[in-house]
Amino acid sequence: MKTVPCAHCGQKTTSDADPAFCCSGCETVYHTIHSAGFAQYYELGRGERAPSAVKTDAAFDSDTFKDSIRTLPDGTCEAALFVDGVHCAACVWLVERMPTAVEGVVESRLNMSRGRLELRWQPDKVSVPDMAVWLTQFGYSAHPLHRADAARGTAERQSLFRIGVAWTVAMNVMLMAVALYSGLDTSLETGLATAARWASMGLAAISVFWAGSEFYRRAWASMRPFRGLQHLSIDVPITIGIWAGFLHSVWATVSGNGEVWFDSISVLIAALLSARWLQRRGTRMATESAQRLLALLPSTARRVDGDEVIEVPVASLAAGHVVEVRAGDVVPADGIVVQGHSALHRAVITGESRPEDVTEGSLVSAGETNVSAPILLRVTAAGPESRLGKILSWVESATVRRAPVVQKADWLSGWFVLAVLLASLITFIAWSFIDTGLALEHTIALLVISCPCALGMATPLALTVAMGRAARKGIFIKYDDVLERMEQVDVVVFDKTGTLTHGVLEVAAVVGAREAVLMAAAVEAQSTHPVARALVSYAQSSGQGAERAQDVTEVAGSGMSGIVKGRFVEVGRPAWLGVDEAELAPFVANGQSPVAIRIDGEVVALLGVGDVIRDESASVLNVLRARGARPVILSGDHPEVAASVGATLGFAAADVMGGQSPEQKLAYIEHLREQGHVVAMIGDGVNDAASLSAADVGIAIQGGTDLNLVAADVFLTRSGLEPLQHLFGVSDAALQTVRRNLGISLIYNVITITLAALGFVTPLLAAVLMPISSLVVVFSSLVQRSATRPEAKRTTHAHNVPVSARAATQE
Amino acid sequence: MEVLYFLVPLALLLAVGSVLAFRWATRHDQFDDLDSPAVRILNDD
Repeated sequence: MKTVPCAHCGQKTTSDADPAFCCSGCETVYHTIHSAGFAQYYELGRGERAPSAVKTDAAFDSDTFKDSIRTLPDGTCEAALFVDGVHCAACVWLVERMPTAVEGVVESRLNMSRGRLELRWQPDKVSVPDMAVWLTQFGYSAHPLHRADAARGTAERQSLFRIGVAWTVAMNVMLMAVALYSGLDTSLETGLATAARWASMGLAAISVFWAGSEFYRRAWASMRPFRGLQHLSIDVPITIGIWAGFLHSVWATVSGNGEVWFDSISVLIAALLSARWLQRRGTRMATESAQRLLALLPSTARRVDGDEVIEVPVASLAAGHVVEVRAGDVVPADGIVVQGHSALHRAVITGESRPEDVTEGSLVSAGETNVSAPILLRVTAAGPESRLGKILSWVESATVRRAPVVQKADWLSGWFVLAVLLASLITFIAWSFIDTGLALEHTIALLVISCPCALGMATPLALTVAMGRAARKGIFIKYDDVLERMEQVDVVVFDKTGTLTHGVLEVAAVVGAREAVLMAAAVEAQSTHPVARALVSYAQSSGQGAERAQDVTEVAGSGMSGIVKGRFVEVGRPAWLGVDEAELAPFVANGQSPVAIRIDGEVVALLGVGDVIRDESASVLNVLRARGARPVILSGDHPEVAASVGATLGFAAADVMGGQSPEQKLAYIEHLREQGHVVAMIGDGVNDAASLSAADVGIAIQGGTDLNLVAADVFLTRSGLEPLQHLFGVSDAALQTVRRNLGISLIYNVITITLAALGFVTPLLAAVLMPISSLVVVFSSLVQRSATRPEAKRTTHAHNVPVSARAATQE
Repeated sequence: MEVLYFLVPLALLLAVGSVLAFRWATRHDQFDDLDSPAVRILNDD
């Protein structure tokens, strides 16, 4: 019996069978997957898996959750936590099963869409850290929820209620207005007409005094201190419009002559409140995901104190402390390596897809993952002072700054209201001179026929419909102004790792004996090093039975050795195995990392390991170029790697920059923007987060980190770049609809107001036309050209061939 | 037409009723989570 990994889950098991399984469950799943033809699952799954930042055995620090706990009168405690990794009904079921599995937990309710878990428990039987550990076992990581969030929830509920009331009022006033406009006030039933006016006034007053109060507050705030007209917020014309209309109507109601306009005011308030609410909800979702960033850092660190190692909360680390970072752990703070050497996965900070070797004296940053051997490091900066901390705070401040999008439509409808009031005043005065009897009728017609709702709804409605369509295609747009900016984008910056390429290392070229690769793969079988994973998956895909290796030893930073079929096999850095630099040139030129294999003291094979370009990258780039957008590569990878990918995909040499630090990327994007370019940035690493925020449109791709989801304006949940193409299509379609809507409602209003002012429209006709104009705009938004996939003219470009396929011909 | 003096206030009363119902719903988090209940129904118990 030998110890081998389970073919499905990878857990170590003893078995002679091949493939070996740890349990019948795994075996069933394995065969189901294979019989369904999904064997690729294992290649993908066994590729380099991003190490979880949460340690399963971590002692959760009870202080971390202290702030969010509330004690109820019956002695139980209550808290809300963020839980990462819930996606489906099964997750909900599992998490809500907690009371039956953990003693002392009374209730567990999960809000799936927000990843929010409400817990109630008996504090004498169980503690939050226990529950967090239980959740972690299943792969759900729990984070504390901040107090501010609860307050935000209450505010949001308040405004939802306001919207409800505002619409109720608006609809009821509207009913009475229709009766009035259709002739109730000119009929014999004067008593009814008066009653309807007074009732409308009472209802509208609720909207004006209570529901709309936030507009006046903000308008006032923008007026004090007065800094000039251009600093006035859009709330100012809205406020003036609402009050001018309301006071005029009140005077008309009280005095018994003149026209009332309560319906338009209340609909305006309700519509504006709804738009604001949608906007606020978008911002809230953005900030919520910001809180999950905590998952990037472990909650505890192993501090070395004299001879003993103690687990301490990361927050207590300070410069000068020495911490131990075991293999697989995430570096908790910035520091200098004082003992040991290892390979660190630094994609989080630099975007480099290959792990880098560190040795004594190397600088490491918080958030990087130690992949091979334990190291000791002396902390130089911890928490917010660390490099990761700085990137985080930058992103958070940027998120707050840019969230409230100025709604052009709000602004337009605000001034529109004023313009209509002015026009009606002029009409009334002019007609008073021509024919006093008709003055009133023509003024009413004008007030009724003008339709601020169509104007106000034109933009938000079209954008909302477009965003909904995009979401169904896996494109999530956070701020609706992104759709507007997409059109002007003239530079598209790609972060190479994981966007143009698959982001997983693969064996791209083999020079020498193929059998040697299989033997090397056997040696590497147990290693978590990404290069090792590449070898193993290459050996698996070659379809030959796996070899077994004995006496496997790892030489940190250099490679591994072991005995396979009685022969001594070494795999590792060519320099370590005594390979001449000159032989490596072709690999380096292709942007691959060379790996050498030596068997019984003789170098028998050289491998090139590299990242493979996504199939659709070339066609997406062509679409971009056709739109007049210049693609640029701004990568943290080695300059040769970036240059090789750039050359394959036909980038201009000047547009490909490798070896960029996060700070350099940010500087470059700011530089482009200063030159007047509108920049879209597509990235997936945390290293891109600051740049994503700085770009006019930041697009994060699935598989990236949470931080990116906060920093980005858009995120694509389907892998590959095709969603990017859809995004352009969606924004084109949306903008076209917005323009059409604005055009329709402006032309409608200009024509009808002119006609009404000239006296060609009766109030009844006006009352019929007004809702029709709104309906036209709604209809136009709903039937906007569905963002058809701009079916890429998929000509077979020579450079559509993945790097690996091209390089393989070198054998 | 006099019946309107009775019917309109009645309609308004109904509206007040629905506003109160809506207030109850917002205060009881009925609109907080629109996705989980849909999957929770799949759970047996």
